[in-house]
Amino acid sequence: MKIVIVGAGEVGSHLAKLLSREEQDVMLVDNDADKLAAIDANYNLMTLRGSPISFKTLRQAGVQTCDLFIAVTPYETRNVTACAIAKSIGASKTVARIDNYEFLDKENRDFFTRQGVNSLIYPEYLAAQEIITALRRSWVRQWFELHDGKLLIAGVKLRSNARIVGMHLKDFARCEHNFHVAAIKRRHDTIIPRGDDVLMENDILYFATTPEHVNDLLGVCGKEHQRIRKVVIMGGSRIAIRLAHMAGDEFRIKIIENDMNKCRRLPEKCPNCDIVYGDARDIEVLREEGVDDADAFIALTDSSETNILTCLTAKELGIKKTVAEVENLQFISEAESLNIGTVINKKLLASSKIFQILLDTDISSTKCMALADAEVAEIEVKHGSKVTRGPVKSLKLPYGMTIAGLIRDEQGMLVTGNTEIQAGDHVVVFCLSGALHKVERIFS
Amino acid sequence: MRDNRPGKNILGARGVVSIFGNTRKINFPMLCKVLGWLLMIEGVFMLFPTLVSLIYQESDAQVFALCTAATIAAGALCTFCIRPSSTQMAKREGFLLTALVWVVFSFFGMLPYIFTAHPISVTDAFFETMSGFTTTGCTVFPDVDILSHGVNFWRCLTQWLGGMGIILFTLAVLPMLNYSGGMQMFNAEVTGITHEKLRPRISQTAKSLWLIYFILTFMLTLLLWVGPMDFFDSLCHSFSTVSTGGFSTRGLSLGFWESNYVKVMVTIFMFLGGVNFSLIYRAASGNWHALWRNDTFRTYLWIIGLMYVAFVVSIVLAGNASTWESVTIEPLFQIITTATSTGLTAENFENWGSLVMSLTFFLMFFGSCAGSTSGGAKIDRLLYLLKNTNNELYRSVHPNAIRSVRINGDVIAPEVVDKVIAFLCIYVMVIAFGGILLAAMGIPLIDAFFSSFSCVSNTGLGAGVTGYGGSYDIIPPLGKWVLAGLMLIGRLEIFTVLILFTRAFWKK
Repeated sequence: MKIVIVGAGEVGSHLAKLLSREEQDVMLVDNDADKLAAIDANYNLMTLRGSPISFKTLRQAGVQTCDLFIAVTPYETRNVTACAIAKSIGASKTVARIDNYEFLDKENRDFFTRQGVNSLIYPEYLAAQEIITALRRSWVRQWFELHDGKLLIAGVKLRSNARIVGMHLKDFARCEHNFHVAAIKRRHDTIIPRGDDVLMENDILYFATTPEHVNDLLGVCGKEHQRIRKVVIMGGSRIAIRLAHMAGDEFRIKIIENDMNKCRRLPEKCPNCDIVYGDARDIEVLREEGVDDADAFIALTDSSETNILTCLTAKELGIKKTVAEVENLQFISEAESLNIGTVINKKLLASSKIFQILLDTDISSTKCMALADAEVAEIEVKHGSKVTRGPVKSLKLPYGMTIAGLIRDEQGMLVTGNTEIQAGDHVVVFCLSGALHKVERIFS
Repeated sequence: MRDNRPGKNILGARGVVSIFGNTRKINFPMLCKVLGWLLMIEGVFMLFPTLVSLIYQESDAQVFALCTAATIAAGALCTFCIRPSSTQMAKREGFLLTALVWVVFSFFGMLPYIFTAHPISVTDAFFETMSGFTTTGCTVFPDVDILSHGVNFWRCLTQWLGGMGIILFTLAVLPMLNYSGGMQMFNAEVTGITHEKLRPRISQTAKSLWLIYFILTFMLTLLLWVGPMDFFDSLCHSFSTVSTGGFSTRGLSLGFWESNYVKVMVTIFMFLGGVNFSLIYRAASGNWHALWRNDTFRTYLWIIGLMYVAFVVSIVLAGNASTWESVTIEPLFQIITTATSTGLTAENFENWGSLVMSLTFFLMFFGSCAGSTSGGAKIDRLLYLLKNTNNELYRSVHPNAIRSVRINGDVIAPEVVDKVIAFLCIYVMVIAFGGILLAAMGIPLIDAFFSSFSCVSNTGLGAGVTGYGGSYDIIPPLGKWVLAGLMLIGRLEIFTVLILFTRAFWKK
């Protein structure tokens, strides 16, 4: 598949590397030759220097024959323009990154379709959504709902109090039929486990389960459900504003911001929040604002380091749930091992969205979510595809993937070795990075 | 994190790579494994001369079959017995592998020469193979006419394989190198200052380049076959012409056929072999403007044009303009064969005057376009040098002027210009160093320096003792090893080889 990406910023270059690893033909366009040079010399993709909104450049990039055009420059107007130009030249599908909530409105969708923009990505919106999910289910690390919640995947960190610590996975599977462990994140690696793998403390387990059994998971992992009401946010960023909008009355939000000018503008944008001028890195300020009795602490400043460290401080002050925005990819697993409840990364959110769009063009009705080094995808099984040829255990699935569960006749169910997959099933696949293209092959 | 992981588990070996996996230790097991794969490819190539020998019912068929078996066995041993704990290959493995492949290929490629009906010593065999792979084209066989078809075919085939590049071939056929390690090797092997990609994936780029190469070879074979040559000779000569190598199946080289048609055809295809293949690809896919707008290509034409005028004047003045060929085909043939580093010689070349001699040095030094199969320092670098010199001169009159080097309409960063100038300096130093080494072995001064020059620029012309078009068998054994090394340094454009001799490369 031919993909043109304009904008070699963080999201753009991350996507380019990712897609090149998935064996796609990637062309990266940017104005800045320095940004391109490093990527060009080290990755299996092609780069082109030029303006993203120049017809000539886009033709040179081969937009006329490309299957997917992604505009992720820092400016939404430029992205929309680039998509419009690309569509007029002949790109079959276009995606623009935007910063404006209005653009996502259903009634405004027509306008963008007319302009030639097929999909919009709004990373801040995705991040806010992710945070709200995390607050509603404070005991999970990651939470994916597939097919309108018919099947769930929950990432849960095991503490020493969980009774399944030290168990072999095959023993676990024998006594708990309602859960399927799809993957284990241990330190920096994600493992697709086998029966003889042992569950250890501090592992993050990804369980596939159906909605009626979710609450049993709490007992299995030794967790308690906590209702979150009082939330303290550090940094009045765009994600914070979006979050305040989406949360409505569900949470009582207090935003601590250390820029006076921003503080003055915030009450207008989020009328339902308390705004505090101060530096949340200062423990006095945190105490004064009653962080001790808040239920959750969310750090959303531009600096990943500040976010991680402040979350640790909040944790020491007794806050149960912490959320940190971490934009440096290599810090994510560090942050996870430091017991920060949920880690938000705009790049990963944006790229999972784009993966979803990418899969959509190949396979009907899919869904894809990215973890730091793995993806979860919902894929509809086609007639005559390889996976329908027998029970799962005899399929010889490629290394680095597992089938977590499936949805048949609008009913979620788990997959065991004896399950036979039928055409029309929606299968939930858990795969390590770089294996997604292999997955596509066996389902279509 | 994800960024440091290898693309996927390319060889099925299960390596756990952590986010700190990019250690500075060189991954030798993986290196050997990949080398094994490459050796097996060489083994497959050796099958062709085996077939040729079988067809002509020569005794060498057995030798080739055994050498093929040995090469494939050695490759398989490396590949299937070594289980690397990590499949990662970074920059340094890329450099090391690229340089090693050429040496290892030469060591296995020389086996047939040692055991055939007309055996030569190990030194000579290595020299001959390296000369083939690097498309230098100087030979140690005193008489190639007596060699079997199989041997001659293998000589030309080594040139054909080396002309486009061993790594480039592998990138086109083996999917396993298609990740960032492969990128490093591509950069280390392909000639030129910057390496442009034709298509998004490196394997596609390699395939496109090989397609062009293949088509050119095929066309020349047909054209020569139509003429006075038989199929075997046309094929061998196409191999050595398009790769701008210069091996021939006859002692008299092209002179054997005494045909203007052959000379014209070979001249045209040598010329094409000296053009940047990416440019040919563009032109072939309809983008002719790219060709005319390319500064290097235009300079290439200019140099050939100017040289032609100078050669003709010199020939007329020396009183050698006896026939119409001697002022048209002969000088053009000589200019192009020198510029593209093919290294064939026209008749009476020695008698054309000393001006022609000195111009030949210039042609040999700069060669032709980067990204082609030719050797030399490349016209691209000449262009950078000239433009930069021009700017320097301008600046001495207008000290505050800001001027930049522009190539093909793009402004070139000063660091790149610096690198090019550094390259040229080191290039001259390598030639001088090689010359000194050879002179120390008792070779006459001019011959020593000229042979060194000729080998670094992969031209394969010899002077004095060796005589034009003659063989290199007079040079002492140690000298041949030195020359073989120089050829490799020249083919991989110095840095890839020299970097292996720096402390920084090996230090943890």
